[in-house]
Amino acid sequence: MNRTRREFLRDVGVSAAVFPFVANLPSLASHAGRVKKQRLVVIFSPDGIVPKTFWPDATGASFEFKQILKPLQPFKNRTLVLRGVSDRVRGDGDNHMRGIGCLLTGSELYPGNVQGGSDTPAGWASGISIDQEIKNYLQKSAVTRTRFGSLEFGVMVPEHADTWTRMCYSGPNKPIAPIDDPHQMFGKLYGQLKDQETLKSVLDDLREDLGRVRAVIGSADRKLLDEHTTLVREMEQEILAARTTDVGHAVPMVEPKVRRINDNIPTLSKLQIDLLVSSFVADSSRVATLQYTNSVGQARMTWLGIQEGQHDLSHEPDSNATAQDKLTKINEWYCSQLAYLAQRLASTQESDGSGSLLDNTLIVWTNELGQGNSHTLEDIPFVLVGNGLGFSMGRSLNYGHLPHNRLLLSIAQGFGHRIDKFGNPDFCGAGGLPDLT
Amino acid sequence: MDEPRRPVCFDFEIAMTNLRITRSTFPIVGGIVLISAVSMPLGQKPSSTGAQVYQEQCAKCHGAKGDGGKGYSLPLRGKLSIAELGAFIKKSMPPGAKHCLSPDADKVASYIHGAFYSPVAQERNRPPGISMSRLTVRQFRNAIADLVGGYHPATPAIKAEGLRGQYFKGQNFNGNERLLDRVDRQVAFDFGSAGPIPEKFDPFKFSIFWDGSLLAPDSGEYEIVLKSNQSTRLWFDGAPLPHIDGWVKSINDPSRSVVVNLIGGRAYPIRIDFSKSTTGVDDAAKNKGKKPSTSAISLMWRRPNHALENVPTNCLFSQWSPPIFVVETPFPPDDRSIGFERGNTVSKAWDEATTGAALETARYVANNLTMLSGVAEEDPKRREKVMAYCHAFVEHAFGRPLLPEVEALYVTKQFDPSISIEGAVKRVVVLAIKSPRFLYRGSATGADDAYVAAANLSFGLWDTLPSPEQIHAVEAGKLSTREEIESQAEKMSEDPRAWTKLREFLLRWLKVDEVPDIVKNPKSFPDFDAAAVSDLRTSFELFLERTAWSEKSDYRELMLSQETFMNGRLAKIYGATLPTDSDFVALPPEASRAGVLTQPYLLSRFAYLDTSSPIHRGVLILRNLLGRNLQPPPSAFAPLAPSLHPSWTTRERVTVQTKPAACIGCHGQINPLGFTLERFDAIGRVRDLENGKPVDSSGSYVTRAGKTIKFANVNELANYIANSDEAQSAFIEKLFHHLVKQPVLAYGPNTLATLQSSFAENRYSIRKLMAKIVAMTATKRQAGVR
Repeated sequence: MNRTRREFLRDVGVSAAVFPFVANLPSLASHAGRVKKQRLVVIFSPDGIVPKTFWPDATGASFEFKQILKPLQPFKNRTLVLRGVSDRVRGDGDNHMRGIGCLLTGSELYPGNVQGGSDTPAGWASGISIDQEIKNYLQKSAVTRTRFGSLEFGVMVPEHADTWTRMCYSGPNKPIAPIDDPHQMFGKLYGQLKDQETLKSVLDDLREDLGRVRAVIGSADRKLLDEHTTLVREMEQEILAARTTDVGHAVPMVEPKVRRINDNIPTLSKLQIDLLVSSFVADSSRVATLQYTNSVGQARMTWLGIQEGQHDLSHEPDSNATAQDKLTKINEWYCSQLAYLAQRLASTQESDGSGSLLDNTLIVWTNELGQGNSHTLEDIPFVLVGNGLGFSMGRSLNYGHLPHNRLLLSIAQGFGHRIDKFGNPDFCGAGGLPDLT
Repeated sequence: MDEPRRPVCFDFEIAMTNLRITRSTFPIVGGIVLISAVSMPLGQKPSSTGAQVYQEQCAKCHGAKGDGGKGYSLPLRGKLSIAELGAFIKKSMPPGAKHCLSPDADKVASYIHGAFYSPVAQERNRPPGISMSRLTVRQFRNAIADLVGGYHPATPAIKAEGLRGQYFKGQNFNGNERLLDRVDRQVAFDFGSAGPIPEKFDPFKFSIFWDGSLLAPDSGEYEIVLKSNQSTRLWFDGAPLPHIDGWVKSINDPSRSVVVNLIGGRAYPIRIDFSKSTTGVDDAAKNKGKKPSTSAISLMWRRPNHALENVPTNCLFSQWSPPIFVVETPFPPDDRSIGFERGNTVSKAWDEATTGAALETARYVANNLTMLSGVAEEDPKRREKVMAYCHAFVEHAFGRPLLPEVEALYVTKQFDPSISIEGAVKRVVVLAIKSPRFLYRGSATGADDAYVAAANLSFGLWDTLPSPEQIHAVEAGKLSTREEIESQAEKMSEDPRAWTKLREFLLRWLKVDEVPDIVKNPKSFPDFDAAAVSDLRTSFELFLERTAWSEKSDYRELMLSQETFMNGRLAKIYGATLPTDSDFVALPPEASRAGVLTQPYLLSRFAYLDTSSPIHRGVLILRNLLGRNLQPPPSAFAPLAPSLHPSWTTRERVTVQTKPAACIGCHGQINPLGFTLERFDAIGRVRDLENGKPVDSSGSYVTRAGKTIKFANVNELANYIANSDEAQSAFIEKLFHHLVKQPVLAYGPNTLATLQSSFAENRYSIRKLMAKIVAMTATKRQAGVR
C-alpha cells in the first residue's frame, strides 16, 4: 500500500488503455517454446516458531509432521523440511531487523538510524533479495518474461516503512512495499479489464450524442467531428475484438471494502492467496511473496480464541506451556494458509497441459527467527512445498549449521540462474545446499 | 549539443511553416480576367477615382464587387499585378473598338486589385472562418485538474516568501515541545552537530516540519530531491503516503528523489518532515559522553530547463494549497504547424489519450468519491447526492446548464439501479470527458451565447474551463453586454493564471520554451557551467516577470529595460559587484543593454561555443519580433570556423560567408539585424573589442514599406521594435494566436488595427491587450463575425 497514486497508475499502465488484456493472457512464448514454467512463492510469518511442535523428530523420507505442520499432511510427499539452516549474517541492527532484512538478501544491513531493542542502529539491507534476483533473471528472457515479473503480497503489513516491515529489496537501500490491500492488488491485476467494461458501457451513449451534436454544428465543422466519430467507432471495434479472446480464467471476486483490520486477517489472507493463484493462472507473474504482518508482528488471532499479540507471546519462556501452546496454534494457522495455497495450486491445471500449478511451483515458508524467546537466527524454519524446482521432496533434512545464503543460491540455481554467490560471499561456501535434488 | 552548431541556415521546419501560411493565406486563384461584352463611352471624367470608373463602366457586367453580372458571370479573381492588369484593360476593355485609356485603366486596375481581385484582397474579403477546435493538451490537463479538484486559485493569495517551519524539541513534532515557528525562505540548512538554536535544542534529538505549497512555474517533469543525512519524508500534493520516505536512513543514502509531472502556474501542497534522532527504541541513554552527529537538509529540484538547485523562495508559499489532480496519461503534441498550438485536428493517438485520461480520471474520482463529493459512505441518500455531484460535474465540464436530454443521457441513464454507485460515477466521468461537449469547449453546441463567451474568456486567458461561479454569473445574466465581457476579461487578466499563459507565450515567442543544453567552451568561459546556465535562465525569467507582469505590464519596457538580474555566481562571471552568496537582485541599469534582446540568457542561447551568432540572433529578430517570413535556405551550410581566419571579427566572417547571391536575399535582412547585438559575446557579456578590433554594432532594416532604417547600435534597434507599428503589430498577432488559437484574420480584416490602436491607448499594457483580445473574440457576434 506504500505507493503513491502515480506509481500505482504507472503499474496499471493507463497509457495502453485500449489493448489491455494482451499482457494478461497466458504468455504466447510459453506455448511456443514448451519450456516448463517455474514459479516461486515465499511466505513469511513472524516471531519464530515453537521448535518442539514444529521440527519433525526424524530426518529422511520417513518422518512425521508435528502439530504446526499437520495442515500439510495431504502434501507430505511434496514437502521438504529443512532444519539446520541458519541466518549467519551479522552487522548492525537487532535480530528481528536482521532476521527479516537479511532473510532474502543474505546481505548485512547498512548502519543507519533505526534503533532496535538491542545492538546498534541500522538502515536498509545492502543487497537485492532472492525473489527480485530471480524475477530479474526471468524477465531477461522473452520465454520467461511476464507482465509483472513479481508480485509482492502482504497481509496486515503496518503502514510504515522501516527495517522491520520490509523483506524484499530491488537493490541496496531499495526496499519494496508489499501490497496488503486486496483491492489495490485487484486493481493492479484487473484494473484495465474493469476500465474496458466501463468504456464499453458508455460507447453507445457517446455515439448517440456525437450524432446529436453533429446536427447542430455548422457544416464546415462536421468534417472534424466525423473524423472524431470514426475514431470512436474504431475504438469500439477494437474493444469488441479484444473481448473475443477471453481473459483465460475466471476473474476472482473481491468483496468490496474488506477493511484492513486485525480480525479480517483470515479473509484478507484468503483473498490475497486467491489473487496470487489467479496471477499465476494468467501468467502475469512467476514470482510472488506473501508477507504476514511484519518482523515483530503483533497479529492477535482472536479467531483462534487468542487475545494476546503474537510478538508479546513469543517472548514467553519455554516453561510457559499456555503461551507455547498458543504460539503453536498461531503457527499452525499460518501453516494452514500455506496448505490452502498448496491445495489451490494443486487443483489448478496449467493451460498448456503440463500438470498442476503446484507441479511447477516451489513455495518456501519462512520466518525471521528460529525461536521468539531467544531471538535466535539459528535453525530458521524453511518449509518447501511443491515440485517447481526439481528438488527431491517428501523429506525432512537437518544441515546442522549451514548458512542460509546457500539455500538462496540453490533456489536461484533451481531456476537455471547460474550464480555461485548471493549476498555476503563469505556465507556461500561451496555453493548451493547439498542433497536437495 | 549546442543547437547553434547546426548549419547556419537553420529552422528549416519553421521556414516551411511560414511558407505554408503564405500559401494558405493567399490561395492561388487562376483564370482569365476581365472580359466584357458591352461597349461604353470612355474617359468621361478624367478626375474620377478608380472606384468610380469601375462602378460606372465595369460594374454592369462584372457586378459591383466583381462577383460577376449579367454580361459576364465569372468573378474577377486572379494573380496579375496592377501593371499587368492595367495593360490588359488598355488592350481589351471594354470590348469593342474603343478601350479604356490611361490613367483611368491604371486607376481601375489599382482599385479592383486592392478591392477584390488580388489574392490578398480575396483573403480580406473572405476571411478564414473560426473553426471548431478541441482543447489543446495544455487546456485539457488544466480543465481536468479544475473539474476534479474543485476550482481553486492557482496559487495562495500571499507573496511567495518560503515555507512555514516548525521546530520541535523531541522527535515526534509534539506541539507542546515546539520551540520555533517561522517562515524559512528556503529549506537549505546545515545545523552542524548542534540544534537549530544551539542553546535551546538537544543536539541529539530535534525534529522539524516545513509545510506550505510549492509553485511549479512551467509544465513538465520535476525531480524533487531531499538531501539529508537524517530522517526525512516528503509529502506532496495531498497523497495519502509520502512521495519520498527516507525515515529509515542508511548511512550511505544521502539523498532521495521523486519525479512528478506538474501543470505549470499552480501551487501544490507540500510538507517535509525532518528528524534528528534514531527511530525505534529510545537510545537516549547511549548518547552520554558521545559527540552528536551532524545534520543537514536541503529541498532541491531539477525543473524543466534548469539544473539541480535549491527550490527558490519565489516558488515557496507558507500557505497550504488544495491538492491538484494531474492527468498522467501521455498525449501526442498539438499541431503547431502555423506557429501556435491549436486543436484543429484529431488523431487516433489523441483519441486514445483522451480515453486513457478519461479512465484515469474516472478511477481517481471513484476512489476518492467521499472526499470529492462530500457525501458520506453511510449517508442513506448517498445515491441521490452522488447523482447531484455528477450533475454538477457534467455541468462544469460542459460549461452550461444541462438540457433535459443531456442530463438524461449523461447522468440519469448512467445511474442504472443495477450498477454500483462507484460504477455509475465512473461511467459519468468517462462519458463526460469523452463528450464533444467537453472536448470542443462549448463550440460543439452550435450556440454563440454568453456561455460560449465565458468559455472563450476562460480558455483564452487561463487555458481552463470557466468556474462554476462564472457559469452561475452567466445564468444570472451577468455576461451579456460588451462592457460586462470586457470588465470580466480585465479582471481575469490580473490573475496569476493569466501570467502563466503570458509567460508561456513569451518563452515560446523568444524561442526558449524548449532549449537544448547551452554549452560554452570551458577554456574561454571557465565558470559558465550548467549551474550558471540554470541561474541565467532564472535571471531571464525574473526579467520577463519584472517587465511584462509589472503593474504597467508595458511592452516598451520589455523591449527597452536596461535591468539585469544577477546572483553571486553570475556576478562573478559578468563582472558585477555582489557578494558570492548573494540571491538574485536587479543590477542598476546598464547603458549598453536594451530590453529583452540583450538579456544574457537569450544572447547565450543564440550563440556558438566560442563566438556570437549574428545570424541566429538576426533570424530571431526578423521572424519573431518583426514578424517577417523567411524562405528556407537553398541548402545547409556549416558556419565558417573562426580558426580559419583568426584575425577576423564575427561580423567579417558572417559577411563573407553570406555574400553569394543565393544567400544575400535573406541575409541582407538577417545580418544587419543580428549585427546590432555584436556588442555582446557568446555568453552575453558586453565587449568593445573582438580579436583586438573595435566591435561594429551598427545595423539596418528594410521595412515592409521598403524604407531602410539605420541603427547605430542595439539601443536604436530596440527603440524601433518598441515603437514601430510593424513590430507592435507582429507582437499583437502572435499573442492573439497564442490566446485565441484561431487565425486573427478569421475575426475580420480590421481586428489587428483595432487592437493596435487600443494597445496604444492603453499605454502598451500587455495585460490590457490580453483582455482586449479575449473580450473582442468572446463571441462571434461580439467579434462582428457572421
